[in-house]
Amino acid sequence: MITHRMRLPLSEADVRTLRAGDLVILDGEMTITAGLPTHQRIQEHLDADQPLPVDLSGGALFHLGSYSQDGPDGFEVLYMNPTTSTRFNAYMPGFIRKLGLRAVGGKGGLDRACATAMQEAGCVYLSFLGGGCPLLSEAITGVVAVHWTDLIAHFRLVTLRVAGLGPLTVGIDAHGSSLYDTLHEDAAARMAGIMAELRAERESPL
Amino acid sequence: MGVTYEQVRRVSAELYGAALKKVPDNTLDALRGAIETETHELARQTLQIMLRSAEKAEREDKLVCSDSGVPVYVVEIGTAVPMEGDIKRAIKDGFADLVGTIRPPILKHVTNPLTNERGYVGKDMPIVTWDLVDGADWIDITCSPKALGSGRWAALEIFTYPSLEVIEGYVMECVMKAGSQHCPPVVIGVGIGGTFDHCAKIAKQAVLRPFGQTNPEPILAAMEQRLLRAVNKTGFGPMGTGGDTTALGVHVEFAAGHGFTPVAVCFNCWINRRTSARLYGDGRVERLE
Repeated sequence: MITHRMRLPLSEADVRTLRAGDLVILDGEMTITAGLPTHQRIQEHLDADQPLPVDLSGGALFHLGSYSQDGPDGFEVLYMNPTTSTRFNAYMPGFIRKLGLRAVGGKGGLDRACATAMQEAGCVYLSFLGGGCPLLSEAITGVVAVHWTDLIAHFRLVTLRVAGLGPLTVGIDAHGSSLYDTLHEDAAARMAGIMAELRAERESPL
Repeated sequence: MGVTYEQVRRVSAELYGAALKKVPDNTLDALRGAIETETHELARQTLQIMLRSAEKAEREDKLVCSDSGVPVYVVEIGTAVPMEGDIKRAIKDGFADLVGTIRPPILKHVTNPLTNERGYVGKDMPIVTWDLVDGADWIDITCSPKALGSGRWAALEIFTYPSLEVIEGYVMECVMKAGSQHCPPVVIGVGIGGTFDHCAKIAKQAVLRPFGQTNPEPILAAMEQRLLRAVNKTGFGPMGTGGDTTALGVHVEFAAGHGFTPVAVCFNCWINRRTSARLYGDGRVERLE
């Protein structure tokens, strides 16, 4: 098991060195949101060729919800944690290609269409620990910007500075390999055997 | 003297806050046990990070997960306990107190399904299941904050005179559908029989059962064991990135029904949020978990 330490924004060369199952620790700037309305709004901007409030080109966009609030020195972010990425499957191939995203992530993975876009564009999917709020939030060293504050906190587009974020697991690499697809295919291939073992155990309990 | 509005209100708030910040000891023990048996290095490391996250949350009074879910309570009322005041309203007011006072503050997750607007209040919230316990001189309140991560994978199907093979096949189908996505290792609750509504209720009761207890019905005790082995042969593993530990337990409950037999399957993610307390008529409050 290899653990990489990398600085955001990632270069294509950085990304291509990562393999599914590797671990990564990140430093630098990233943008996060957990909102479907946010994805719809990004899509509308891309469709209309309007600039996004934060430049995501070549950047990292993660499916993490966060609690942001107005503080004495601008917005503060109290905590963050991943949400289920597959909810955004429909949006991600377009975002990855059009914005040239180098890293996406959250929890639970993305589908094959996303993995194909990631392979073409040079992008990885990073799996964050669900229920990892205390550890992940500790890596926040600064709030760069909080955009679309008309949305509820976890739907906002939040750009953060992080140090030592992770370890995160490379769930889908830039070579077309997806742990999620592989595990699902393997489990499906084993299912007839698993069912046969269940039958055998019912007939003659262990 | 009896169980009062004020007591129930206070305990409802406390149980919710504690459920968000403390992974049950019984679950931490199961995770530690899984580290011993897990053979995949990445999976072992993920389990270790889970434990670190849980320990840090408890030590530093932090949320384990940013998704604080929606408020779900199960209340069992002893018929020998006198009550004073609006006990039903006390739970709703207790959750409102929690929202107003918890630090760090929680996000808005209560969702109107017709508009997708989100807030802290909504129709039928908190969701409370009520039961009576004949002769008992206490009220038990269990709090189980529930969120999308594992909540969305629950399913129910109605069969006619299903064999055990059909029932177990359906559970495995649900496990395959959830795949890597429900923040495993999970606990799986299965309900068999009763009616549509009762079956879902007993599946939920099953998911809330602590690890290490098996169903006293021998057919189900054996089913729980073999389903757990079967689920862990799928290989989805901790956080769904591969390993031997996809579930920490499969808990099954049953009820008599008609020939139409519902089978309900639900999941709790690895943090397995659950707290409970017993309130006595003389004012004592005992934290059960």
